[in-house]
Amino acid sequence: MYGWAGQRLRVDLSTGTITKEPLSYEYRRKWIGGRGFNSDIIYNEVPPNLDPFDPKARVCFGVGPVSGTAAPSTGRVTVTCKSPLTGGFGDSNMGGHWGAELKYAGYDQIIVQGRAKHPVYIWIDDDKVEIRDARHLWGKFPREADQMIKEELGDEDIHIVLIGPAGENMVRFACTFNDVWRAAGRTGHGGVIGSKNLKGIAVRGSGTVKIANPKAMMDVCNRLRQAFKPDPMKIGLYEFGSLCLINVANRDGWFPWRNFQGGAHPLASNMAGETHAKTVLKHREGCYACPICCGRFTHIKEGKWAGEEFGGPEYEHAVPTGPRVGIIEDANDIWHNARLTNDYGMDGIETGGVISAAMEWYEKGLITTKETGGLELEWGNAEVVDKLIPMIATRKGFGAILAEGADRASDKLGLGDEGHYYTLTTRGMTLPGDDPRGLGFGYGLSFAMGTRGGCDHLRSLCCLELSGALYPGLNTKLLGDERPNKPVTTVGKPYMVYYEENQKATTDCLQVCCFTTHWSYAVLTPDQVEYLNAVTGLDFTEEEFQEIGERVYNLERAYWARQMSGAREDVVPERFTKEPMPQGVDYQTNVGVVFPLSEMLKKYYKYREYEPGTGFPGERKLKQLGLDYVAKDLAPLRSKYLSESEKKKKKYYY
Amino acid sequence: MAIMTKAQAKNFAEMDDFMLDLCDFLKSKGVIDAKVHRRILLSGFFRLVEFLQEKKIINSREAKEAMDKGFTTLVYALAK
Repeated sequence: MYGWAGQRLRVDLSTGTITKEPLSYEYRRKWIGGRGFNSDIIYNEVPPNLDPFDPKARVCFGVGPVSGTAAPSTGRVTVTCKSPLTGGFGDSNMGGHWGAELKYAGYDQIIVQGRAKHPVYIWIDDDKVEIRDARHLWGKFPREADQMIKEELGDEDIHIVLIGPAGENMVRFACTFNDVWRAAGRTGHGGVIGSKNLKGIAVRGSGTVKIANPKAMMDVCNRLRQAFKPDPMKIGLYEFGSLCLINVANRDGWFPWRNFQGGAHPLASNMAGETHAKTVLKHREGCYACPICCGRFTHIKEGKWAGEEFGGPEYEHAVPTGPRVGIIEDANDIWHNARLTNDYGMDGIETGGVISAAMEWYEKGLITTKETGGLELEWGNAEVVDKLIPMIATRKGFGAILAEGADRASDKLGLGDEGHYYTLTTRGMTLPGDDPRGLGFGYGLSFAMGTRGGCDHLRSLCCLELSGALYPGLNTKLLGDERPNKPVTTVGKPYMVYYEENQKATTDCLQVCCFTTHWSYAVLTPDQVEYLNAVTGLDFTEEEFQEIGERVYNLERAYWARQMSGAREDVVPERFTKEPMPQGVDYQTNVGVVFPLSEMLKKYYKYREYEPGTGFPGERKLKQLGLDYVAKDLAPLRSKYLSESEKKKKKYYY
Repeated sequence: MAIMTKAQAKNFAEMDDFMLDLCDFLKSKGVIDAKVHRRILLSGFFRLVEFLQEKKIINSREAKEAMDKGFTTLVYALAK
């Protein structure tokens, strides 16, 4: 067998049983790997009414057939579960080297189920798999536990996925890290892992990946590596990391100022990649086989946080506990907050989202210091954010309420619909640091339609509207028109999102970094098919490649449909559709813009063949994709979704 | 070979998002079948241009112009 390891590991922490399950050719051809394998397991093994923290819930780690090869950026891993934040389908994706190591150890996927009697970690040493005591690691930050496990196992070169205290305390947006700093941030799988008393998974792999056609593989890999050299996005990402977007975001009005009350600020450049590189960048880092090396390592040199250092931050990690909570004057406060969310193991986006929601509730008088336990939640109050992050992670005081996520917190505080207006979520998950009134109408459409809780940039990552202008002719080649490369236009966006969602889903099945295929377009779909076939010896076509992405997308959408989530929940926060963008700086380009979701939604539904009334995947499409059993599952639910009793339910989460 | 009228071409040229409508139209005219319709939507605009050129519905100059200037050029080429 080429490419794949051909088996997955199932670990039952309740019984201590460890099973190796073969993966058939048909299964591998249908789902490829990574996100595809994981989504299939979650759909089939985690029913809609199961509590995500129930021992019977699963959490999956998936890699792909090209993981661990020389293809660009093939070290990624998807982690999937039923999300404790949204109650629906949830996954996240991380870089680093753990994914490649898992492949070398001989596995394409790990499924964890059950609950251990006390904290444990899983140790995978090629074909030897053990469940080991982790009571001494419980409560430790990932950077501490990583070192302790390496010392215990006597090997500095092993790779480890870990949760932090937030996961142990089942914070609904806790996350995981591998190699200490590489996060799989979203949807709260860290809490699911913590609910199983699992601290992490350490891997050592001494095997290799068999390549069917090594010469063809080296030819395509060498060609692609050359293509990256002059690539404009690669150059920007290498030099300044994803913080290279800050000045662009500020100019185009998608910089998330004070919970998206505004889209630009005169001091935004304090945290720009260019400034970061001059002031706090210690070194650059890359993931496995990555030609881009967008990773940063930050060392704070001055001020009250002098001496702190950590891996990161990314744009999406820095802005939520920076400008989104009103902090911009001292960038060291922003770096410090990013390090805190890393240490405690929480999704930086959701952490900033819930704190900024609370700040807006406080600003609007919906809560006072009575509810906050004396904390003054004023915009830009860095001291209070520094206190709140550990409080959320350890579920102390007001932090215990916020640890439930913004929508549940709003309900616990009894704030009604007005409270929910400021949570800025879709299906219970908050959006990242990209205001759709600026970036952009395609992003905004994919926020509404995202299959992991909406409001998420990484479902389509339709960078044809962000970096597309740097690749003249690319929008025309794929979409037939260059005009969609402008963020603030509806032109071509339904097709753009459809195309990019499919492409991104298959990229996630391969487990390669989407920065090589979106943002940078140095690698296009035909290149991915070429290296996939060179590795596996198979004959995937471009159409089959895209169809697999479409299959995965529809399966995930169906998971939501089973939860009675459909057309009525395909929304974005009303701030974006109702409030015109105010001016923040005089060169801002999107003043006055509102986001016109409804203009694009109908056409997008047609591309997806979603039913107009329910928004459920259509029966014909499901059968075309080989998902007959899904069509059968949804058949009795269509009329239920349209019933009067369902229509009356206001669902902010599930 | 004229697949559409100039009025129809103008209509497509003015659309915000044309791909699905154009593919549906071409299928209704028997220019593409269901399989090709799907292939084009999955792969992108260039696949449509490639197909039309292979079938000699457009010539190589028109195909190049379509790839250089986009779909509005293509629909007017189909209305010739």
